[in-house]
Amino acid sequence: MGNFLEAPYLLEAVVVVLGLALLMLEAFLPKADKRLVAYIALFGLAGVLVASFNMKAPENLEHSFWSFYATDNLAFFYKNIAVLATMLVIVMAIEYTPVLEKYVSQGSKQGGLGEFFCLPVFVCAGLMWMASAKEFITIFVSLETVTISFYVLVAYMRRNVGSLEAGVKYLILGALSTGFFVYGVTWVFGLTGETHLEKIGIALQGLEGSDSAVLFAFTLILVGLGFKVAAVPFHVWVPDVYQGAPTPVTAFLSVGSKAAGFIVATRILQPFLEMERLHSSFTTILVIVTGATILFGNFAAIPQTNFKRLLAYSSISHAGFLLLALTCTPDQFQLTPGQVVAFYLATYLLMTMLCFLVLTIVRRSTESDEIAAFSGLHRRSPFLAFALLIGVISLAGVPLTAGFLGKFFVFTLAIDSGRWILLAFAVVGAASGFYYYLKVARAMYWEEPTELAAIEISPLARLALLLLIIATIVFGVYPAPILGLLTN
Amino acid sequence: MLETYLPILMQLGVACGFAVSTLIVSVLLGKSGKTNPVKDSAYECGMLPIGEAQPRFSVKFYLVAMLFVLFDIEVVFMYPWAVVFKDLLVTSLLPVTLGMAGFVFILFIAYLYVLKKGALQWRD
Repeated sequence: MGNFLEAPYLLEAVVVVLGLALLMLEAFLPKADKRLVAYIALFGLAGVLVASFNMKAPENLEHSFWSFYATDNLAFFYKNIAVLATMLVIVMAIEYTPVLEKYVSQGSKQGGLGEFFCLPVFVCAGLMWMASAKEFITIFVSLETVTISFYVLVAYMRRNVGSLEAGVKYLILGALSTGFFVYGVTWVFGLTGETHLEKIGIALQGLEGSDSAVLFAFTLILVGLGFKVAAVPFHVWVPDVYQGAPTPVTAFLSVGSKAAGFIVATRILQPFLEMERLHSSFTTILVIVTGATILFGNFAAIPQTNFKRLLAYSSISHAGFLLLALTCTPDQFQLTPGQVVAFYLATYLLMTMLCFLVLTIVRRSTESDEIAAFSGLHRRSPFLAFALLIGVISLAGVPLTAGFLGKFFVFTLAIDSGRWILLAFAVVGAASGFYYYLKVARAMYWEEPTELAAIEISPLARLALLLLIIATIVFGVYPAPILGLLTN
Repeated sequence: MLETYLPILMQLGVACGFAVSTLIVSVLLGKSGKTNPVKDSAYECGMLPIGEAQPRFSVKFYLVAMLFVLFDIEVVFMYPWAVVFKDLLVTSLLPVTLGMAGFVFILFIAYLYVLKKGALQWRD
């Protein structure tokens, strides 16, 4: 009980209290500018981010609480990703306020807008708890905290048909996938009598009897997780939901939801992959899903003309690269697949947020998500064009950007584990990535603009863009700080 | 393993069998009277059958009903909590009660929010 006030779970508690306080502010000060809620959320989360670096894992892990709450480096790393992503989403949401006012407002101009800034904070709390969850009930509850908040956020623009359509699709498919996941969990519980992942690992080693039951459970869980991380063939919802949802929410789905899905996948797959008897079967299933995801995500992105849809397919293809890392069982590579995935997600956060932030600003002034809306962007705002250029070349994986190093680590891991066929797919996928990402760059620098009015950028957004550009380039050259957080 | 479920199967059979046999027996043994429109109409002290079978009612009903279920479940949740943690209360009183206090606190904030937003007000 001595370390009650220094325990890492206080971070989540603080985030929840922050969310509740914002909700109260929203309810009791209906006349205030709703952006006040956003600024307070931003400062609160910044405080949590700073505090998370000072949190230490408890030394005495005997209490039963720590058996379902992980405090390893990976958990802290994903908590940082969650907080950082939420902060950037709130910055984006502030930029997006004019669009929201148009489709949401009831009564007054900003009526019904406050919750749009509160809900991401609750999502953040769920994501942070999920980073530490290593027991099925905890994983499920935090997963649902995140997903249910997302249902509301996706359908937030209730006077916009696209947003409503996205909301319905996400709700129905999300509920279905949750059903698959829970059914898988009950099968695992039926087989092993455990919900703790570590104990499940031990129980699976000594399991006798039918293999098909274990395979069935594994497949069901994989379906549930595949939906969360947007892996083929569970990706059908992605393009429509990404396109219809408010842009900040799309960014959050693409980074936050994916990061959460992958930390859970990293933890859940481990006990299964350690089961020697069925190791090859599990790997085969994973390899098939991975191959399909890489190929489909990249090839389907090629003909896209809408930038948001393009980023949706890009999100699928990145899920493919991340899954590729998870299928690996390296012999001598210094980083574990879990660490490579975490590094890749950190770089993915930077470049995806960069693209979405530019998209949010352009969307506000042109009212369009089409790639055509970016025509001649460098003449309207050289800074925005440069920011998006860095974002897309990093997504494509051009050397000296963070995106290159993420792909580099994944490929090295694949070579070390001898996943040659998947590697060939990945190379083809990455190569086609150059085509569709640079299509945006071509529109910005070589096409004629339809209008010449300069685009204004608020100081906060300018600062966020600047930091993201610097981080994308610096971590592409010098990744040691991120790797230090993961390995030390 | 499955034979332990045999009584349930039997009960299922008895339940369905009883319903079906009652219907069949009533057709076989009962006498059906002659029908005419006057006989089929509502009894004299009943309401006249006018209007839709499913009347429209305010969407606020769903809001109030949903909120009722939410806060109702909160109380329902306390019973298993009290039963499960009965023994643990002796050794670690503080974490157990604090956990529940936190849960109730979150719902209290939610209640304040609902109240302030006017979700429980029937009239605008």
